[in-house]
Amino acid sequence: MPAPLLQTTAVAKAFGPVVALRGVDLSVAPGEVHALLGANGAGKSTLVKILTGVLGNDSGTVAVNGRPVDLDSPTEARSQGLAPVYQDPALIPDLTVEQNLRLTGVDPAAVRRELAGMDLDGLDLGEQVRDIPLPFLRMLDLARALAFDPQLLLLDEITAALPPDLSERVFAITTRWKQRNRSVLFISHRLAEVREHCDMCTVLRDGRDVASFHPGEGGESQIVAAMLGEASAAVRDVARERRAARERTEDERPRLVVRDLLIDRQDAGVSFEVQAGEVLGMAALEGQGQDRLFEILSGNVRAAGGEILVDGQPLKARHPYDAIRRGVVLVPSNRLMALLPQRPIRENIAIPLFNRISRWGPINIGRERRQVEEAVTRLSIDTRAAAQARRLSGGNQQKLTIGRWLAAGFRTLLLFDPTRGIDVGTKHQIYDLVRELADGGAAIVLFTSELREIALVCDRVAVLHNGAIVAEMPPTASETDLLTAAHGLEVTAV
Amino acid sequence: MSTAPRAVAATPLPRPSSRANRFRRRQGWVVGVAVLLGVLVFWRYSQIPAFGPFEIRGIVAGTMTLALLAMAQSVIVISGGIDLSVGAMMVLANCIAARLMLDQDLGTVVLVAIGVVAVAMILSGLIGLVTVVSGVPDIVVTLAASFILAGLALVVLDGPGGGTNPRFQELIVGGFDQPLPSLLWLAGLLALVWLPFKRSRLGIATYAVGSDRAAAFLSGVRVGRTRVIAYVLGGFFSGMAGVVTTAFTGSGEPRASIGATATLTSVAAVVLGGVALMGGSGTLLGPVLAAFCLSLIPALMLGLGWDPNYAEVARGIIIIVVVMIGGLVQVPRRSR
Repeated sequence: MPAPLLQTTAVAKAFGPVVALRGVDLSVAPGEVHALLGANGAGKSTLVKILTGVLGNDSGTVAVNGRPVDLDSPTEARSQGLAPVYQDPALIPDLTVEQNLRLTGVDPAAVRRELAGMDLDGLDLGEQVRDIPLPFLRMLDLARALAFDPQLLLLDEITAALPPDLSERVFAITTRWKQRNRSVLFISHRLAEVREHCDMCTVLRDGRDVASFHPGEGGESQIVAAMLGEASAAVRDVARERRAARERTEDERPRLVVRDLLIDRQDAGVSFEVQAGEVLGMAALEGQGQDRLFEILSGNVRAAGGEILVDGQPLKARHPYDAIRRGVVLVPSNRLMALLPQRPIRENIAIPLFNRISRWGPINIGRERRQVEEAVTRLSIDTRAAAQARRLSGGNQQKLTIGRWLAAGFRTLLLFDPTRGIDVGTKHQIYDLVRELADGGAAIVLFTSELREIALVCDRVAVLHNGAIVAEMPPTASETDLLTAAHGLEVTAV
Repeated sequence: MSTAPRAVAATPLPRPSSRANRFRRRQGWVVGVAVLLGVLVFWRYSQIPAFGPFEIRGIVAGTMTLALLAMAQSVIVISGGIDLSVGAMMVLANCIAARLMLDQDLGTVVLVAIGVVAVAMILSGLIGLVTVVSGVPDIVVTLAASFILAGLALVVLDGPGGGTNPRFQELIVGGFDQPLPSLLWLAGLLALVWLPFKRSRLGIATYAVGSDRAAAFLSGVRVGRTRVIAYVLGGFFSGMAGVVTTAFTGSGEPRASIGATATLTSVAAVVLGGVALMGGSGTLLGPVLAAFCLSLIPALMLGLGWDPNYAEVARGIIIIVVVMIGGLVQVPRRSR
């Protein structure tokens, strides 16, 4: 076995009383694409930040090519051959791409070369960063990291925000890096990618490395088991069982009816119905109008035409307030957009209540507290970080965004990709929560970018293509059928 | 599990923005303020029968202090901070300069001027350092600093007084009908201090720190140092403002209210000049032009025969209206 390119030994880090890393041994060999896996809050991001000089470690050592190094700044980490692409783009929004490159001391010619290698040389580097769509910012970040010609490329959830064709280009890079006998540390929640493209994986749990193995051998179940520990296996089948229990009663009035809703200026509109107690899945490729549809339904944007009926009455929302008053609420995929990150959990849950509890006059604190506590218990939110919502892990934040509406008693939920960037264990908790809400009588419209979620959570699925519903299928529809429809093609046998 | 779905359609590249669009986004505001200034100057020109070098000199020399303070404030706002002590810093510099320059020959006076600017840079740098190191919000530190500086100014000069060399006055603000010296000073500072700074890596880092501190850190920018340097450069401009005040008035005036008013007007010039208070965008030319607009308005109102007290009301309304129009023109927002 060759000497490791990167070796961490007993790396530990604590933020005040919260221990993020308890002692991680990680070894990345040259010519290896190494996956770093773990549930949300397991310590992946902290480890990446230590390896790239953003955070200092409390104890333990990091060695590159056998030599211990002291990574005290991002610049120092880069000069040791470790170049990161962070989860959030590290480009300054108010500067042009060129100015950003100068800031980091990167040769623009090298970046252009890397972009050309990814078939992206059409990108204009004179453009201000804020005008460039997110997926291309990730690609620019990647090209910038590559321009340093690093020994080890660290990719922190780079594919989470990328459409499949751009993801493929990322994997072309990782393969090329491997062929050059260099290495990649790859973080992703998409286990299929990990199985397909990674040679090794290390799983973190509660700040420790718990397993290292070839991800292709054990398959997803081994990864999930390592990530979640013993409690994992039982979780997975619960949602599926519950799925079977639901049966549609015939004479129910639909909770939400959408008729010929024009998402953009086009001829065909969107029409669908959702009953109380039903979860309607919504599947689509990137950019088929799903964002706008959800914004219209939640009163954020006005439709060009068509109508929305809630409980049989038309809803003409000019503002989210109007929709919320009628009980129609949106859970966006960007969790921090929906929450008050600096405020305590209690207030975050209580905020939607204010719409109902009291229009004028003081708020009844006692009643507020009761409802909030009920919600926290039902959601099994870890309340150790109760003082500020932003300190919760991503999964707990998402539970909070969904759960606060629950506490307020809203009955029509619009969930937009609620499990994006969330680990497998919490995903299943969220599936359970969604089903529970539906069983309790809520009508739910769920857009998801992960097709297999549809079979797990939904009662029906509508496929959106180019701003119109092109097909409705049972949740048991195969992924092939869903994808065919999502591309706007006829599905032969449903 | 089936295999991961492959996309059929390639994600299209974003369409690059047009040249005109880019110009509008980046320079539009400055052009707008320049046009506004042109209109105001023309208006003033039509008000006064004999509009000539004397009038122009009066406007330029009289606005120079405010223009310099606007530059000081802009640099700090661009770096993501705010400085409520620029006015007090100007008053202190004015008092030190007036006290030391009294009855001195030109050489000494110039040396004093350089020294005073250096002191302002050091003091402002210290204020920046305290902000960065202590983590106390800049608005609090600089507000407190404004009291300290105003107090020091009274220690240096306990009442209006001091003086300077008349040749120094001519050198800085020109004779009674010579607008050129003050114009050249302003243009020179913009061209020889600000532009090279803006184009340097340090300048880009200043914008970066104001735009997104975390991303700047990840890009390898030394965030704390950059912020302190922005305060040092701000101190340079507010020190210059003090020296110019000394040259313009030929004396020192330690009244604290002068500093407070000047600080607030500098913030107004920054906003009117298109520098986002959030930091990270804008340039110094806009606030300088805006400073001229702001100081022309009272003169225009006077020319119309209005009560001067209404001039302040008009000034406030103009700031709000201009910024509103600018916001509508520059950033087509989503309807809400």
